[in-house]
Amino acid sequence: MSVNEKFSAIRKGLLEFLLLQIIAAEKVYVADILKQLSATQFATQEGTLYPLLSKMRREGLLDYEWKESEAGPPRKYYKLTAKGREQLRDTLEYWTEINETVKQLGQI
Amino acid sequence: MNKVITINLGGNAYQLEEGGYDLLRAYLETAAARLQDNPDREEILSDIERAIAEKFRALLASHKTVVETKEVATVLGEMGPIEADAEASKPGGPGAMGGTGAAGTEDRGTPRRLYRINEGAMLAGVCNGIAAYLNLDPTLIRLAFVLLTIFWGTGVLVYLIMTIVVPEARSPEEKAAAFGLPPTAQEFIRRAKAGYYEAIRNFPDPKARREWSRQFRREWRAWADQWRHNWHENWIRQAPACPSWLGFALPALSLLVGIATVVWVCASISLLATGTVFGQALPDNVPVWVAALLLFLTYAILAGPLKAARHMCYKGFGRPGGTWCLVFLLDAAVWLLVLATLLGLAVHYFPALREAVHGLPALAHQAHDDIRAWWKGR
Repeated sequence: MSVNEKFSAIRKGLLEFLLLQIIAAEKVYVADILKQLSATQFATQEGTLYPLLSKMRREGLLDYEWKESEAGPPRKYYKLTAKGREQLRDTLEYWTEINETVKQLGQI
Repeated sequence: MNKVITINLGGNAYQLEEGGYDLLRAYLETAAARLQDNPDREEILSDIERAIAEKFRALLASHKTVVETKEVATVLGEMGPIEADAEASKPGGPGAMGGTGAAGTEDRGTPRRLYRINEGAMLAGVCNGIAAYLNLDPTLIRLAFVLLTIFWGTGVLVYLIMTIVVPEARSPEEKAAAFGLPPTAQEFIRRAKAGYYEAIRNFPDPKARREWSRQFRREWRAWADQWRHNWHENWIRQAPACPSWLGFALPALSLLVGIATVVWVCASISLLATGTVFGQALPDNVPVWVAALLLFLTYAILAGPLKAARHMCYKGFGRPGGTWCLVFLLDAAVWLLVLATLLGLAVHYFPALREAVHGLPALAHQAHDDIRAWWKGR
């Protein structure tokens, strides 16, 4: 089992956190998100993203608005809610803690 | 040249090759099924439709108006399988976006399950299911059951028990599981084509289901019409204007088959009743059931070619609707005669049956009287 495979469950869990971070930066629509992720270890497909986004919206972390596009029908642009921002702050904090722990363990 | 189907995706019309349409429909059906318990199911589905539409739009240009099947496959491959549970999202490694070409292909083996499979079954689909489970030819399993019955007499019992115990594969997923195949899009299509009705039953949205079954009925009717038309055309083309001697041979052949049947039945009755075939004693070491089996085999060997010849004679009949159809009537008369002979034999040989037949008039009288009495009593 390669490291890549071993971390697949962890990547799954982290995806939600990454979405919060991407959406926090600017209003985005799904193709933007996929493009940003595609160059990373977190490359994802629509089939995964749409259900996840709808779950996060249900939890009140994000919201969307319709925007006209230059060509074709309007698109859904996602943005964070106050609750989403709060969650992102908490997660970032927690992530820093975990990082510290990972670095410090076994360093005696 | 491929058939093109126009569809409505996210409010816009797209033209897809038929194979691509099948792929897309299977993908959306699978998505709908997986999102069964999701409260935002409708919204996610429309998001997905819109995303697919956007990808299609990118493929089309002024001189290119139809989305090809392989393009649909690529787009669906990019979309990736719909995650049933949002918690269990599955990001692929780098390069997962590369488009594997196939929609939702998963190559991990799916465990096989034992189901009865009704498609292509002879009885209840038990042998079919076992064959799928063991990856063997169904004929082999059937042969095993027949041998089991002949030598140990248990085959029928085992079959009956399995008919009751083993569930029937109904949904496409169950059918896929019976063959140990992952229920991927391609599998759905293959199976949906084989058992159109099964898929309809699993189609979640009632409105879409109605529309689909309407379409299916239409297609089916068109197909049946076509078939009838072709059959008629073939008949006319092949049949001579006048019946040839073959046509007249039909009643004669029927008579021969009939005589063979009657002789066989008589011989069997005589064998079972007296242990001899028309007074001819069996060799010492041959049990009665072997003799009966041999009689049947002899009959089958004799009657088989005669029956085949009868079938061939239908060609000699000339065009349908002519006066020559009287030959059919003659043929039917021959068969009625054979049937009457068989009935007569049965009544003659079985005392219980004879008594029943003699008792019929009295029975009819009594029934008549009973009904009259009941009518008056009202």
